[in-house]
Amino acid sequence: MIAAALATLLVAQTIEQRGFVEMRALAYPQAAKGDSGRLVGDALLRWEADVNATPWLRVSAAFDARTDTHRQVARDFSIDTDGRNLQRPAFSLRRLSATLHRGKFTAEFGRQFIRWGKADILNPTDRFSPKDYLSSVVDTDFLGVQAARITYESGADSIDVVWQPRFTPSRTPLLKQRWTVLPTDLAGVQLRDDGARYPGGSQYGIRWNHVTSAYEYSLSYFEGRQNLPSFDGTLLQAFPPAAAIARTYPRLRMVGADAAVPLPWFTVKAEAAHFGSATPDAQEYVLYVAQIERFVREWSFVGGYAGSVTTRPAMYPYQFAADRGVAKSFVGRAGLTIDANRSMAIEAAIRARGSFLRYEYAHAVGQHWRTTLGAAWIRGNMDDFLGQYRRNSYASVAIRYSF
Amino acid sequence: MSKLVLFLLACAAWAQDPRQIMVDVQKRQTSTSQRYEGTLEVLGGGNKIATKSWVFIRSGAFGNSKSRIQFLTPADVKGVGMLIVNHPDKASDQWMWRPNIGRDQRIALQDRSTRFFGTDFSFEDLEERDVDQYDFKLLGEENGTWKIESRPRKKSQYTLSYFWVRKDNLTFQKVEAHDQKGLVRVIDYKDYAQIGGILTARTTEVFDVRRNSRTILKYSKLEYNVPVRDDDFTLQALRRGL
Repeated sequence: MIAAALATLLVAQTIEQRGFVEMRALAYPQAAKGDSGRLVGDALLRWEADVNATPWLRVSAAFDARTDTHRQVARDFSIDTDGRNLQRPAFSLRRLSATLHRGKFTAEFGRQFIRWGKADILNPTDRFSPKDYLSSVVDTDFLGVQAARITYESGADSIDVVWQPRFTPSRTPLLKQRWTVLPTDLAGVQLRDDGARYPGGSQYGIRWNHVTSAYEYSLSYFEGRQNLPSFDGTLLQAFPPAAAIARTYPRLRMVGADAAVPLPWFTVKAEAAHFGSATPDAQEYVLYVAQIERFVREWSFVGGYAGSVTTRPAMYPYQFAADRGVAKSFVGRAGLTIDANRSMAIEAAIRARGSFLRYEYAHAVGQHWRTTLGAAWIRGNMDDFLGQYRRNSYASVAIRYSF
Repeated sequence: MSKLVLFLLACAAWAQDPRQIMVDVQKRQTSTSQRYEGTLEVLGGGNKIATKSWVFIRSGAFGNSKSRIQFLTPADVKGVGMLIVNHPDKASDQWMWRPNIGRDQRIALQDRSTRFFGTDFSFEDLEERDVDQYDFKLLGEENGTWKIESRPRKKSQYTLSYFWVRKDNLTFQKVEAHDQKGLVRVIDYKDYAQIGGILTARTTEVFDVRRNSRTILKYSKLEYNVPVRDDDFTLQALRRGL
């Protein structure tokens, strides 16, 4: 299918395309344990193209080429197609999919982006959207998945069926960089990164969405794997202590629902999911979000609470649980469109033992150029998911040329 | 003879019924579908600060139609889409599609005063409301136009609007939209031409009084009664793009 899609792309007479080149610099005022780098630069070229080959067939492709100063990007010339590298790939086929449409059916095959859920501050039901946490856990990007997605839409209802034959994990911070903070009980242990043990088998999910003028809601089911890893450790030697760690991905069964109800003063959005697991030692839990949203002229406001309840504790001591890490938090976001070219946004998450505040100002010049200034301030205790990154507050500047 | 006079008087009274004038304006613009490409220039304080363009398609009669907008430029908003489902008896339903997050987002009724992607149009300005959703009052005549006051019966950001309707061809010349604090927007319709048998403004100029900001929308490749499909006006269609 991918080869056929590529062939269609190559022989097409007209290609709709867009993209950008972005140079970004991040400055960290504080050094972190094991990572003294305080200035990180990266460059990204992203090219996206769409071809309407026939009235019922559309081929979409997106390609990334990137490099950086901090070895977060791999230094090889292979083209990544499955998102399984521990480092960010230098060249990546971010998306390559064929969308077929006939009547009430839309089908998309290939590497694509699938977003479920309605909330903005956390999406428990969004199971086909692994994220790239490699260079920040508070500012992430989505990764595409190889999947077949068939959507049937009739009037107020739509049913979305997704089958993902090959697992795509979320990309986690590198072991010896600042966004990995090792637990204190591993202090002094020599660690060897044994990579990941990716599960075989496929994942699937189904979502029913109902939309009316007064409200909209969805019910969803997912059977597959947690895309955030647990870390499996093997003791290599006792003196001096050394261990090998490998990422594993527990089984996951998600049953979830989301809803949006516009009320006279604001829109209420809620989303909740229960995560069960057939993997004996994996955690089982409920994640939920309730938020209100309001736009007032040039302003947008979103605020709410993200919570979690553990129904079965994990036996794995070490997990990268970014989804639960930002739960039990009050989260708010405000955005202001100053004029056609300028905007700013501020976002905050506050929990009992950790918090972050992120600010962003974007200024476009002409049709192509945009400068974005940002800053993130992270505070908290070392035993808190956010608080452990308290030495990772940063300021950033990005210059983007869009075409 | 007296019957003829009475009949003429009745006709004159009927012709100056403001609701009937608005119905006639609406009738003259009736088409089963429409498509155009729009170029928007946003001017702040008299200086051009942004240029955007979109493609617009509509299916169905005025006030009971479905329409879609999809941005073509600038590059960083290309693909951003809007689906508007108009209802004859209530405010429209609106959803926005942002390709960078891959999700549609409902625009709630109370959020419709928000400016649409940095232009001087609000989300509400993009919807069509049937004449039956307003109360009209004829205020008088000015320079060959009827000045008509309209007050929405349903929830709106505007408390009242003044329409100037040309008497010779029953087209809009200008609209002034007010809220509780006063004048909000002035919309001028210009550059009329016959397109597909419908007298059509090829330029719409929106002036946001409080921000001193102006957006000029110029229509090109405008066609009426073009073939469109029902499934072009769904949330899935927003995801697929135009």
